Amino acid sequence: MTHVSSWRRKLKNNVTGYLFLLPTILVLGTFLFLPVFYSLYLSGHKVNLLGEVSYKWVGVNNFTRMAGDERAWIALKNTASFALFVVPLQTAFAILLAVILNAKLRYKNFFRIVFFMPTVTSSAVLSLIFMWIYNSNGLLNRVLEFIGLHGYNWLGDPAVAMKAIMLMNIWSTAPFFMVVFLAALQDIPDALYESAMLDGAGGWRRFISITLPLIKPATFFTVVMGIIGTFQLFDQSYIFSAGSGGPNNSTLTVALLIYQYAFKNLDFGYASALAVMLAAVIMIVTLIQRKLFAEEKLN
Amino acid sequence: MKKIGVSILSLMLVVVLMLTACGKSNEGNKNTGNTATNGGTEQEATKEPAAEKVTVTLAGWGASPEEQDLLNQTLKEFEAKYPNVKVNYEVIADQYMDVIKTRLIGGEGPDVFYLDAFEAPALIERNVLEPLDSYVTPEFDVADFEQPMVDAFKQDGVSYGFPKDFSTLAMFYNKKDFAEAGITAPPTTWDELKEAAVKLTKKEGDKTVRFGFGVAPELARQLFMIQAFGGKVADENGNAAFAAPDALKGLQLVTDMHNVDKSSGEPKEVGAGWGGEMFGQGKASIVFEGNWAIPFLESNYKDLDYGTAELPTVNGKQGTMAFTVAYVMNKESKKKEAAWQLISFLTGKEGMKTWTSKGFALPTRKSVSQELGYDKDELRSAIVAGASYATPWQAGSTLPTIMSNFNNQFVDTFMGNSNLEDAMKKAESVANKEIAAAK
Repeated sequence: MTHVSSWRRKLKNNVTGYLFLLPTILVLGTFLFLPVFYSLYLSGHKVNLLGEVSYKWVGVNNFTRMAGDERAWIALKNTASFALFVVPLQTAFAILLAVILNAKLRYKNFFRIVFFMPTVTSSAVLSLIFMWIYNSNGLLNRVLEFIGLHGYNWLGDPAVAMKAIMLMNIWSTAPFFMVVFLAALQDIPDALYESAMLDGAGGWRRFISITLPLIKPATFFTVVMGIIGTFQLFDQSYIFSAGSGGPNNSTLTVALLIYQYAFKNLDFGYASALAVMLAAVIMIVTLIQRKLFAEEKLN
Repeated sequence: MKKIGVSILSLMLVVVLMLTACGKSNEGNKNTGNTATNGGTEQEATKEPAAEKVTVTLAGWGASPEEQDLLNQTLKEFEAKYPNVKVNYEVIADQYMDVIKTRLIGGEGPDVFYLDAFEAPALIERNVLEPLDSYVTPEFDVADFEQPMVDAFKQDGVSYGFPKDFSTLAMFYNKKDFAEAGITAPPTTWDELKEAAVKLTKKEGDKTVRFGFGVAPELARQLFMIQAFGGKVADENGNAAFAAPDALKGLQLVTDMHNVDKSSGEPKEVGAGWGGEMFGQGKASIVFEGNWAIPFLESNYKDLDYGTAELPTVNGKQGTMAFTVAYVMNKESKKKEAAWQLISFLTGKEGMKTWTSKGFALPTRKSVSQELGYDKDELRSAIVAGASYATPWQAGSTLPTIMSNFNNQFVDTFMGNSNLEDAMKKAESVANKEIAAAK
């Protein structure tokens, strides 16, 4: 008797628990898991959705097709070099900003607001502002000419178009990670610095031996999020190149290529295969990073 | 922005998912209730005269406020003439074709919508447009249309849409710059254009402040140059063919002006958004633009003293590009009779006259053009004259792939970074690989 009632109570508890979870499960299920599985399903098919709907099983054809797709390679290369360049710089920049804010500055709150401003601005708006700055007759070229350097055709020249996006990305993302580092910095006990000072350690030494090791978890978080974010770069190159990924494929990213195949060519099967490939690449890179960071985790 | 990247990606997937879900249920309906729906439309058709109000959705992209007013006026006239039909006009502000395609996939497409000639072959091939020939009456007078514009929406002799308006490219030239350079008449051949452009180019130090010729190095504007020596963009099988020697000859003329003569430039090089702006700002003395540039120049650069002329001949032949947009009917529409009434009014003599009365758009009907006097208009006659020999911006259903590969490489070679032949060969082979892979 008691056994049954306790079983019942347990069930009731569980049901209540799941009822509370239901909204989240539904939302996540519909907007996260179903699309993921549907995308996996699509990646194995040749799909026609406009007009006569048809699904044709093609096995791994969509994936082998990538090997011969020159633009897919270019997109992957662009995306990887983008991540390789942007992630270290934005992390370093974020640490620098955080250290500046953590020092006992006057007007600290004012600087906090100024530093954080780019993060609050929508990236679509930022892109438009930067297009105006990067314009051949724009602000940046005027400044360059004023100090005696020659300007660039920032948006039209394949050699610099991607670098223009990189600069803007670093500038606008670093402040977000700055906040993470700031929180980590404020957790470091002052006593450590004091004892180091007594031992005669200079500012640089203290930074290298105390600050950097103690903010390692924050660095790991920043680098992982940075990589994931940079691999998904879409909106800036979309706006900068009006959706084409040009000039000469220099701003083509994997996400932009997926969009082009899905919505311009209506080739949803191949686009899904590319998306699956991108997800796999991000996962592998993240796992490698975990390995690297975990090995050094001694304390 | 990463957040936005993530959400855009997931949003796309969600949209795709939901659309296909809808699409599937639609399919089911079709299979089970095919005969029923057919019966239904017949009933509806017979019911229609009985004063039951039908609402037709019409989708298009946005335009200037003045142009929008004109369309609203045309629609009001239509509703006055057909009191049983109400038009629900929707503006799709951005990424028009992507939105239309996804809505068609989801079975939520509008009854009538704008379709650019460039996108027409692919949609016709996918069988989502209603063939219109059975609706056409003798009074509609198809022969009155400019032939190339109607042909752009035909496949295998069947019409899928009627063009609402069009523009060809004409040569816009700055009269003041011409007088300064001592040029008395607009150039009529490519050689004359070349000479004039060199004279008109102005430098300060080693920086060009004014190009003689402002050019858009993209396929949409250069297709007629490819054809000037007998070249083709795509062959019969839909494969890219723009790297053939005949096609390269025309393109060479364009790149040489930029890289050898240094007398032409693209709008980006002087910080302008497009040719009309470059011309208005005085940073190019000659541009090839269409009718859309006239209201733009009128409202933004009032004092500009300019003229228009037909494009110079290339290889002794006249040529230009034509851009046109049609009203087409969704095959899945449930209100086809009313949808046709709307199309036939908007592209008919009456509706087209109202729509094109202020000159924002040019009529595709010869009778309307004559009635409104555009063939004699000082600025617009050159654009109208081009209609008879223009190449419509269209080249089969694989054009989007061909275009993106062409533009990608052509800009590069235009900027002097690569040899024309190598760049075009590369673009052609990549395009053909992609076309083959998508089959």
